[in-house]
Amino acid sequence: MRPEAIGWERAAEVDSAARGWRRAGAIDEATHQRIREAFPDPCVTPGAVWRVLTGGMVAAIVLCTFAAAALGLWRSSTAIQILLLLWAAACLVASEVLEASPGSARRGAAGATSVLGVGFFLLGLGLVLVESVRLHGDDAIDLLLVAAVLTCGLAAWRWGSPLFAGLGGVVLFCSLARLPHGRILWLLAGAALTGLAAWGLDEVRLAPSHRIGAAVLTVVGIGAVYAAANVYSLDEASLEHLARLAPGREDLPRGARLAAAAATALLPLAVLAWGLRSRRTFLLDTGIVLLALSLVTLRQYVHVAPLWVVLILAGALLVVLALAVERALRRARDGEIAGFTADPLFSDERRQQVLQIVPVVAAFTPEARTPAPDPGFAGEGGRFGGGGAQEKF
Amino acid sequence: MNPDVVRAITRLRAGHVLSAEQATFFDRVARRGLVSVRFEIRTLLYVGVLLLTSGVGVLVALHQEEIGPLAIAVSIALAAAGSLIWVARRAAPFSWGEVPSPNVAFDYVLLLGLLLVAADLAYVEVQFTVLGPRWAYHLLVVGVLYLLAAYRWDSRTALGLSLTTLAAWRGLSLSLVPAALGLGVAADLRASAIALGALYVAAAALSTRIARKAHFEEVFANAGLLLLLGGLLSGVLDDRQAWSMWLAAVLLTAGGVMAVAFRLGRSLYFAVGLVAAYIALVRLLFEPFRYGRHADSIPLLLAALLGSAVLAVIFWAHRRMRER
Repeated sequence: MRPEAIGWERAAEVDSAARGWRRAGAIDEATHQRIREAFPDPCVTPGAVWRVLTGGMVAAIVLCTFAAAALGLWRSSTAIQILLLLWAAACLVASEVLEASPGSARRGAAGATSVLGVGFFLLGLGLVLVESVRLHGDDAIDLLLVAAVLTCGLAAWRWGSPLFAGLGGVVLFCSLARLPHGRILWLLAGAALTGLAAWGLDEVRLAPSHRIGAAVLTVVGIGAVYAAANVYSLDEASLEHLARLAPGREDLPRGARLAAAAATALLPLAVLAWGLRSRRTFLLDTGIVLLALSLVTLRQYVHVAPLWVVLILAGALLVVLALAVERALRRARDGEIAGFTADPLFSDERRQQVLQIVPVVAAFTPEARTPAPDPGFAGEGGRFGGGGAQEKF
Repeated sequence: MNPDVVRAITRLRAGHVLSAEQATFFDRVARRGLVSVRFEIRTLLYVGVLLLTSGVGVLVALHQEEIGPLAIAVSIALAAAGSLIWVARRAAPFSWGEVPSPNVAFDYVLLLGLLLVAADLAYVEVQFTVLGPRWAYHLLVVGVLYLLAAYRWDSRTALGLSLTTLAAWRGLSLSLVPAALGLGVAADLRASAIALGALYVAAAALSTRIARKAHFEEVFANAGLLLLLGGLLSGVLDDRQAWSMWLAAVLLTAGGVMAVAFRLGRSLYFAVGLVAAYIALVRLLFEPFRYGRHADSIPLLLAALLGSAVLAVIFWAHRRMRER
């Protein structure tokens, strides 16, 4: 990232914290103004709606111009390849230019052009590998995955986008799964990535967006380790299906299943313990999700009760657990236990509540009634029967 | 820890911008000495309610023969009553203004109670056919129930559910996607969408004007605009005979929405109006080239040009609009 862009991001971090303090009434308007003057953020930062609107419209313009050019050249594969790479170059240059200016860096346009640029590049490269170089399908896929990891990594590093960091991490594990002993590679690389990324979480030398990228990569690493260690994934050979050459079941070392069962049970608890100890909520969230997955895995092997009982009990348990935690935190001295509180602190509670309406409504709205079709004339033919007789036997 | 904020707090304290007490507290939060788990508690409650209602659904679907319809209906009714009694006992007195929830679980227990009531009504209707051929009216009953609960207990979530359930009663799904993909919307459904959308938008305006639950405005308005503009857009995309009339209607309505949104400082309404107008104009651009053989590139280039104009409008509006 450019040094000046890192400076803008640091100022934005302070501004965001100050807005939270102001929202919670912890500082007055005059103090807020003095903080803004002490840490001026030169970037124009529109709200989420404006950013999405701008990004969407930029994407529409780029895609329409590309489609217009491609329609004129669709008979020639080479021309399409050149076109894709040209558009990729144009988008990437546009991203660089937009990111360099405080007036355009955070408007959403740079995000759209960078995603499209990387997409066009990978699509173009894929076509070149298959159509021009005429590589074998598997070789082309392997090369493309490596290129995707490098491109996403570079994009994340250059523009600080956590999206690219996450995509790069996911593609890295996809490419590892295609190698021999993919499961072991997932375990090793996942652990290494988690350790490496966790180092960057609080690193002052990193830009704020790189620290968010590190958090995303930590979750990807933990997810990879869990996916490789999960006993159901081992039994179903889920990762081995991604490999170029799937090994036979005899390749499974002795005791692997037992170790996987233990890891399925212990890994979520370890992540939860890490989250509680370090007081990082994203690790707690990850641990909760993994715990839920482990319980689903358990249900796959041990049918303790019918599905409806499991669902109702699990739901009731979650509600009771959440209420118990909230009540314990409320009743604790100063409203906190071991550094955790149920108070919103400086987060925008109202916004969270409004955003929460969307998933609730999406999940619980009943299906729209289907209007009854106009019956018109429907000849059903004659029917047998009468006096209790039926045509069905 | 957020090292940038930690360093800033030290500097602000040294410059006497923050008091010692403020700096100590902010520093503790920035260093993760104190962390809020409110979001996690809310998420657990939401997932808990989701699992509970799913469990009830599975129970009803798979075991009604063994347990018996009456026992199931009574059990669900008791569970719903339990939830709603809990809510009623803890709720603050009614007010036309915004009422904060007494605790973090309140909204979710209310949601659980309402969903169980809805499930019970649907079950009773299926088993005992109370409404007979007019069974769809149970959606109206549920929608009105949600609406009453939303006003009594000041719940935006219940209001959102009410609006989408009432739309479902009219055979509508609150989504622009089917219309935008040209999947076809029957003419009577289109009329229902437009009428219901206009009604919701009017309710939004009325809420603010008479200051009765004015904070419900955005829920009413967003649902209303989606239905209204989605209905009009489906006319532009589907109605081959009268699409130009629908186009004029979309442009007029979207223009009006954008003007009002601009005046009120509501970026989301402005965005919805702008996107609807853009989609309608793209249809207009493609129309002259529908039967051309080699002219496919031209409308796409025109659509890109139109997009550039829209982008200019976005930048202009963002600079001028005072958001609220």
